Amino acid sequence: MRGRRASLGQRAYLVANGAILFFLLAPLAVVAVFALNPTPFIQFPPVGVTTRWFEKFFASAEFMGSLRLSLEVAAAVVVLATLIGAAAALALARGGLPGTRFLTALFLAPLMLPAILTGLALFQALQLAGFGRPTWALVVGHTLVAVPYVMRTTLAVLSDFDRRIEEAAASLGAPPLRVFFEVTLPIIRPGVIAGSIFAFIVSFDQFPISLFLVTPSRETLPVVLFNYMKFDLDGAIAAASMVSILLALAVVIVIDRLVGLRATMRF
Amino acid sequence: MPPPLPTASPASITLERVTKRFPGGVVAVDKIDLIVEPGEFFSLLGPSGCGKTTTLRMIAGFEAADEGRVVVGGRDLTHVPVHHRDMGMVFQSYALFPHRTVAENVAFGLRMRGVARPEMAARVASALAQVKLEGYEARRPAELSGGQQQRVALARAIVIRPPVLLCDEPLGALDRKLRQAMQVELKELQRALGVTLVFVTHDQEEALAMSDRIGVMNSGRLEQVGAPADIYDRPRTRFVAEFIGEINLIEGRVHDGGFIAADGRVLPVSSEKGEGAAALALRPEKLRIVSSGAGVIDGVLSDASFLGDQVLYTVTLADGRRLLVKERNPGTGALRQNGSTLGVRWEPRDAVILRNA
Ligand SMILES: Nc1ncnc2c1ncn2[C@@H]1O[C@H](COP(=O)(O)OP(=O)(O)OP(=O)(O)O)[C@@H](O)[C@H]1O
Ligand SMILES: [Mg+2]
Repeated sequence: MRGRRASLGQRAYLVANGAILFFLLAPLAVVAVFALNPTPFIQFPPVGVTTRWFEKFFASAEFMGSLRLSLEVAAAVVVLATLIGAAAALALARGGLPGTRFLTALFLAPLMLPAILTGLALFQALQLAGFGRPTWALVVGHTLVAVPYVMRTTLAVLSDFDRRIEEAAASLGAPPLRVFFEVTLPIIRPGVIAGSIFAFIVSFDQFPISLFLVTPSRETLPVVLFNYMKFDLDGAIAAASMVSILLALAVVIVIDRLVGLRATMRF
Repeated sequence: MPPPLPTASPASITLERVTKRFPGGVVAVDKIDLIVEPGEFFSLLGPSGCGKTTTLRMIAGFEAADEGRVVVGGRDLTHVPVHHRDMGMVFQSYALFPHRTVAENVAFGLRMRGVARPEMAARVASALAQVKLEGYEARRPAELSGGQQQRVALARAIVIRPPVLLCDEPLGALDRKLRQAMQVELKELQRALGVTLVFVTHDQEEALAMSDRIGVMNSGRLEQVGAPADIYDRPRTRFVAEFIGEINLIEGRVHDGGFIAADGRVLPVSSEKGEGAAALALRPEKLRIVSSGAGVIDGVLSDASFLGDQVLYTVTLADGRRLLVKERNPGTGALRQNGSTLGVRWEPRDAVILRNA
């Protein structure tokens, strides 16, 4: 009896997970089919396989320029958001600062705020200050919304961190800086890295904030895609989407390989 | 057993009026004076929240004393940071480095001291041998049992040859059997190394079994310091008498060199000086059951619990008070009958008088 019930439960579990996966991955399949189908509109079933949309995407100076800009901005955002987010999480979890709860809420606020408002506010602030729309404004805007992700994941690891481990290191003769680099950092690393991956995706995918901060001669990939879609809706859009999905995946894998997300997640 | 690691010579520990207050008005440690001799196995024993951990953490340097001095091996360490104190520390939660192997965990303190590789390898191997963990070098903490993790923590602390080893309930998370085995091993290791060991526990049996001396703590104060037999047989305060083992307390007063119970009965004690309110403390195993009228007090046997090697009887007196009496299990399977009237007696020298503060 019990065995049968367990297997029934297991089956329900598998079905539910299968449904969730399908729901998450189905749009990807649609995009993939669209990108490889030769007709310049969405059609099902597909009539053939072509690489013409990918060729169009890679041949377009506009697409390539914006892809490059998006990657450059995302790279800067990853570095900044990781440093700021991890440092802020450490200060909040460890600093014994007054008003820790308020500060945490403040730092996490960009998560709650619609990004379009953040973008508008930034735009107005920059105009008022007379800065125009420089590239660094894009980096700042993206960093603003990426920092909470790094903080979240880092705070999560810090919340069940046994501080006796650091004390043990100190009692064995490690001065504070060595305790940090030899013990604290390696232990919180999985959280920080997970956060930096989120930061990359948040920046690379960012649309509402970018919308306010780009100039016609200097647009990020999501903005270019959006504008392109307003006039033509052909397979190039799908190809671009495929490329950006694969690029994001590649970045995740590279970060994982370089700093060993899995290796540090093991304990 | 492999040859012991040579130790830096064991150090004495002196606490002078050491006090620690926490925000919120808690006085966790209240003007403690204590001298732990070099090479001694010293236990801090007391109920939860009495300040044992805080005291240990002030010796280790994790907490700064608000008042008083901490002197180790003649050196005033009161204002010396943790990483310059050179003490081994073992935590109840083990606190191993989860991202490092067993060998790397043990080597950590040596690496901080810049010990050369060949010597480091030899000392790590030797420390792991001391705690009987050869062959586990490449494992990670998550791949070890609780007992094995505690051994790694111990090896990591002794490998630096500290003059002082501090342990905060190191065996608290282990099951009973393993805990008893580890008690023996820890005691042997401490002897072999000759290290001064301060051991925090709330388990009185553990403290009695392992220590050279015990300091009994209560609400931030040291109530009594002495050898286990001293603490058990000659408690100096009610708190110590009641905290350690089981005890019968009879209220009364000291008068004319004797003890007069509240009901006016004169009870046998060895001669006592002074006058005033006091309590008579009697360990259950020091009482003997005799036939009715032949003892000091008569009562009715109201309960018997079989403890294995001993039997614990409850004798209810005429005024309703109860005395606990422990007898050796006679091994005949026959316990005394509930409801029988009998007498209880004791030797005057076994009665301890506790003065009211
Ligand atoms: N960091 C702290 N902040 C505030 N109060 C504390 C702190 N650490 C300990 N205390 C308080 O100090 C007192 C002594 O605590 P301590 O941890 O030394 O007790 P203990 O004897 O080790 O108890 P246990 O057997 O439960 O471990 C307690 O009342 C405790 O609540
Ligand atoms: Mg404690």
